[in-house]
Amino acid sequence: MANSLFEEKLYSDKFLVTSEVGPPKGMDVADMVHHIDLLKDKVDAINITDHQSSVMRFPSLGGCLLVKERGGEPIFQVTCRDRNRLAIQADLLLACSRGIQNVLCLTGDSIDVGDHKEAKPVFDLDSVQLLRTIKTMESGKDLGGSDFKGSPKFCVGASVHPEADFIEPQLIKFEKKVAAGAQFFQTQGIFGLESLRRFMQYASQFEVKILAGIIVLSSARMAQYMNDNVPGIIVPQPIIDELSSAGKGKGLQKGMEIAARLVRTIKEENLCHGVHIMAVGNEGIVPDILEMAQIVGAAP
Amino acid sequence: MIVAQQKPLEEIRRLIAPYEKILILGCGTCVTVCGAGGEREVSFLHGALRVAQVKGGDGVHAFLEYTVKRQCDREFLDPLGDRVSEVDAILSLGCGVGVQVVAERFPDVPALPGVNTSFMGATEQGGVWDERCAACGDCRLAETAGICPITRCTKGILNGPCAGTKNGKCEANKDIDCAWVLIYKRLESLGQLDKIRRYYPPRNFRTIPRPRRLAGITSIDLGGSNG
Amino acid sequence: MYSVSMYETKDYPTDRGEKISFDRSLIPPCQAACPLHMEIREYVDLIAQGKVMEALRVIRNDNPFPSICAHVCTHPCENACRRSQVDKPIAIRALKRFAVEFGGDRMVQGEAETMRSERVAIVGSGPAGLACAYYLRKLGYPVTIFEAHSELGGMLRVGIPQYRLPREVLDTEVQRLIQMGVEIRRNTRVVSLDLLFGMGYKVIFLTLGAHQGLRMGVEGEESPGVVDGATFLREVNLGLKPSLGEKAAVVGGGNVAIDAARTALRLGTKRVVILYRRSRAEMPADPTEVEQALEEGVEVQFLVTPTKIKRANGHLSVTCMRMELGDPDAGGRRRPVPIKDSEFDEEFDTLVTAIGQAPQIPEDFHLRMGRGSTVQVDPATLTTNRAGVFAGGDAVTGPATVVEALAAGRQAALRIDDYLQHRYPLANKEVREGLAGDLLPKTLDMVKKTSRLEPQVLPPEARGKNFEPVELVYNWEAAINEARRCLRCGMGAEILFQDKCATCLTCLRVCPYNVPYLDEGGVIQIPADQCQACGICVTQCPAGAIVLRKPYDRRHVASELDHALRSAAESKFKPFIIGFCCQYGLFGTGALASLWRRAKAGIWIVPVLCVAKVEAEHILRAFEMGAEGVFIAGCGEQCAREKTAFWVSQQVEKVRKVLVQLGLASERVQMFNLYAGDEDPAHALDEFTEKIGGLYLASVIKQEVKS
Repeated sequence: MANSLFEEKLYSDKFLVTSEVGPPKGMDVADMVHHIDLLKDKVDAINITDHQSSVMRFPSLGGCLLVKERGGEPIFQVTCRDRNRLAIQADLLLACSRGIQNVLCLTGDSIDVGDHKEAKPVFDLDSVQLLRTIKTMESGKDLGGSDFKGSPKFCVGASVHPEADFIEPQLIKFEKKVAAGAQFFQTQGIFGLESLRRFMQYASQFEVKILAGIIVLSSARMAQYMNDNVPGIIVPQPIIDELSSAGKGKGLQKGMEIAARLVRTIKEENLCHGVHIMAVGNEGIVPDILEMAQIVGAAP
Repeated sequence: MIVAQQKPLEEIRRLIAPYEKILILGCGTCVTVCGAGGEREVSFLHGALRVAQVKGGDGVHAFLEYTVKRQCDREFLDPLGDRVSEVDAILSLGCGVGVQVVAERFPDVPALPGVNTSFMGATEQGGVWDERCAACGDCRLAETAGICPITRCTKGILNGPCAGTKNGKCEANKDIDCAWVLIYKRLESLGQLDKIRRYYPPRNFRTIPRPRRLAGITSIDLGGSNG
Repeated sequence: MYSVSMYETKDYPTDRGEKISFDRSLIPPCQAACPLHMEIREYVDLIAQGKVMEALRVIRNDNPFPSICAHVCTHPCENACRRSQVDKPIAIRALKRFAVEFGGDRMVQGEAETMRSERVAIVGSGPAGLACAYYLRKLGYPVTIFEAHSELGGMLRVGIPQYRLPREVLDTEVQRLIQMGVEIRRNTRVVSLDLLFGMGYKVIFLTLGAHQGLRMGVEGEESPGVVDGATFLREVNLGLKPSLGEKAAVVGGGNVAIDAARTALRLGTKRVVILYRRSRAEMPADPTEVEQALEEGVEVQFLVTPTKIKRANGHLSVTCMRMELGDPDAGGRRRPVPIKDSEFDEEFDTLVTAIGQAPQIPEDFHLRMGRGSTVQVDPATLTTNRAGVFAGGDAVTGPATVVEALAAGRQAALRIDDYLQHRYPLANKEVREGLAGDLLPKTLDMVKKTSRLEPQVLPPEARGKNFEPVELVYNWEAAINEARRCLRCGMGAEILFQDKCATCLTCLRVCPYNVPYLDEGGVIQIPADQCQACGICVTQCPAGAIVLRKPYDRRHVASELDHALRSAAESKFKPFIIGFCCQYGLFGTGALASLWRRAKAGIWIVPVLCVAKVEAEHILRAFEMGAEGVFIAGCGEQCAREKTAFWVSQQVEKVRKVLVQLGLASERVQMFNLYAGDEDPAHALDEFTEKIGGLYLASVIKQEVKS
């Protein structure tokens, strides 16, 4: 019996599509709700980011609750940056109690890239330790070794970076995450299919599902900005060139085309088990991309 | 070695403003080496504060200069007694440890910090120091090829690099090497990559309940009153 | 515990309460090599600062006749100079010549007072005799010089040609001795020492010289037309004009041979050929002299020695044999070995032998004699076997140099004083340690190379026929630039306060010459024989543990600064500006002079020996004492050292940070290069003073508005 709807789909042969919604800064969740509504029936699950890029926002868990309210399937993104092991375990218990059982375990971006640079970076746990923490909790104990009264159950995922410029240590960490119980991986944004092919050749030996991360770029400038400022992201020059070849005001359109092309190819060539579409700030266009990629809405 | 940095002159002027006679107290060990509070910096700060009096319209102060070998041992402070009785405050250019020992040794005189104690570091080149140790109390350098991930990885994580590393540099600061890339490369050249493949459980922060005390094997009974 | 303030400059109290002496410099190799132990490093440094009168004062401390040495000294100091490891030694003799000419040695008055009754007779008036007379007069003894010739000076007079030592120079010294009250008996040959004692002299100093030419020992040496060099030179120098005919041979390779050859040319001999049995490398004559002789047209046949002389038809037929060099002899020179059947004949009108000289001591003196007809003395006291009779100079050593004779004369005077005052004769002990050893390659590589400036000489065509001095004196610029080449050996940095040293390695890292090192015990060492005394480690040491052995560092700057600040405080000119100016070379090349001309009232110069020794604390002190602006004028690309400007800019930046935090314009501290080439320092100073003037005016107005 699967722990969640998403987990059930994970082990079907379905080509999975997930996307993500970033919570707002402040109390007004109207836009987020709108985006959830737009996506909830088109994708298999919606990630809610956890203070993405270390910018303080409405909490991930709160976003997940909204997804649940709107009848969608949330993936709770948990980073280790802001909470120590007590707070994380508590949040996980709360999530599970509300039926939020898909968890994406992340280390979290550095405090230095965000908008609270003077905050104390916690990192009491790292992503591998977080995965193991969840396994421990599922076994009915907390990290202190005490028994739970009522144990949670989760479907756990993690991230991997197939396009890292120094891949070997990333692969070791990937294996550690697999060993720690990760069931699915949403990759960091990828742009080249070659690197994905190479990665899948390697990753297929493990019993895990891989969803290729697709970032929708809206302009050459944004691509350049991400190269310079966003941790880990490397947009190849040909893509930047392609974006700048689009006329003024048509950057997003071009970005959507690029994303759709990647998604379609991945699906047609069956390169991996699914895609995770990140339309940073433009969540509303994800359905259009899916249409352009000739992917029908989420299967029931 | 402890690395510190002299506080901005403005802050020091604010700190000393309420006092008339001030002893500028240098320390001849770590802060001398890192150029923050040795005899030269004492004399330079003294000069700067005197210029501040003349040109900056500060209140009139009288300054004494002195540099002891180490501020973190009371015995070095003992000969200061007479001087301290003359002054209204001590501006210590020692590290945070030094300032506190000075404060304990001379409970009747305010001790003011003249430097910001930064970290424990090594000399990268003349005049440049890099943090190397976080004093975590649980050294695991044997597993990480002699490169400390707790100090040198901005996140202090134990199970390998995060995905933020780019060109071998840290996502938090492009001028700083990703500790995990360094660790991987060194382990690889040592033929010890198994060490990075191993799972490291969450850190035991219980090793540093603050404040810590360390009693050596030959420690002299602290209850004894011999000075 | 330490509490040494930078303004305590006189001596250093240590933790143990003892004082450490002020000048801790080591004796440099030049000084050690000089028979007179002159303070060469000190006077060269003073010349580099344009302080030529002070330089002369230092020179005169140890040398009674510097003008003579300036012309003829064989400068063993230059042979010892460590600069030769880098490029070429400092031209010390030529610098001394500059100092005596421009410092006014001619004007120095001979002063002495008679304080003793014991009369001393000096027999012979060569450099040893003259020096002994000089010092004995300074010590207050009545002195009489007995000279066999009509003129005083011994070899200075009768041996050295005028083109090397102008007679006015010698005459001035003799006049000065007369001024000092030395009694002089010319044309008086002493035949009996007993007679002198009988006349009431308590001590006799014998300094008869070595005037007797050595014989070659070849057949026909007695022939007319063969003359010995010493005799020939004596005749010329006493005003005779002996003729050597059209073509003369000179046998020998020493200075006398060269002097004789060049003198012969000046007397009109068409061809002068030196016959020397070894090669040029073995010639004992001064290489510069040899070079000049060749320029003038003297010919030299090397590896040739005469074996027979035959006189026929008014000419000499000289049979010569060719030689080759064999194994080195005891002195290290390769021994000439005759080549079999290599004889050849050559015709000359005359032949001058100059293969060496020996003293000629009358047997009636009853003195114990040593090797080569020399007088035997105790080398420490210069006493002979007869009570009250001392001897020195060539008569004791055989032919030697002027400076050695001067040293012997001085030594004799001091030992005679000991003798007459019944003191145990103790040789002067140098309290300071000497510096020895070569520069290590790692240091040598870092020393900036600068070529040696030779003094100008008369062109060969202008000198061949007269006895004018060949060598010209330096001009200011040349002298100063040459003096600046000095490496200032033994003045270098020293970790004076080992207990303060935090072993931070700053000195090791900042040294431009790779001198400091960490020894096996983990202690920093700054070897004195390697340090170039640039002072950068002194200014950078965070513990204040390092000083220069000669206090040309922060202490010097601090005391000069205090002096300037006192003057400024008493002056009515406002605003006042303090300028730290490099003292090396400024006066000679005129850059500072032009600065001075343009400088307005209110600018006070703090002379420093290299601006690298100025510290941020000095600059702050100037501001504290009321300066509105401070500038540092270094010598830019002319600096003998690398990176000086970099280190100065570090200090400037440090001060600027303070100024800015106090709301003062950072332009109040400025750095100029006096020799940047394209930049006019006077113009830069103008701009600076204008700027400071403006800032001052603004602050005055602000004050008035406030009140």
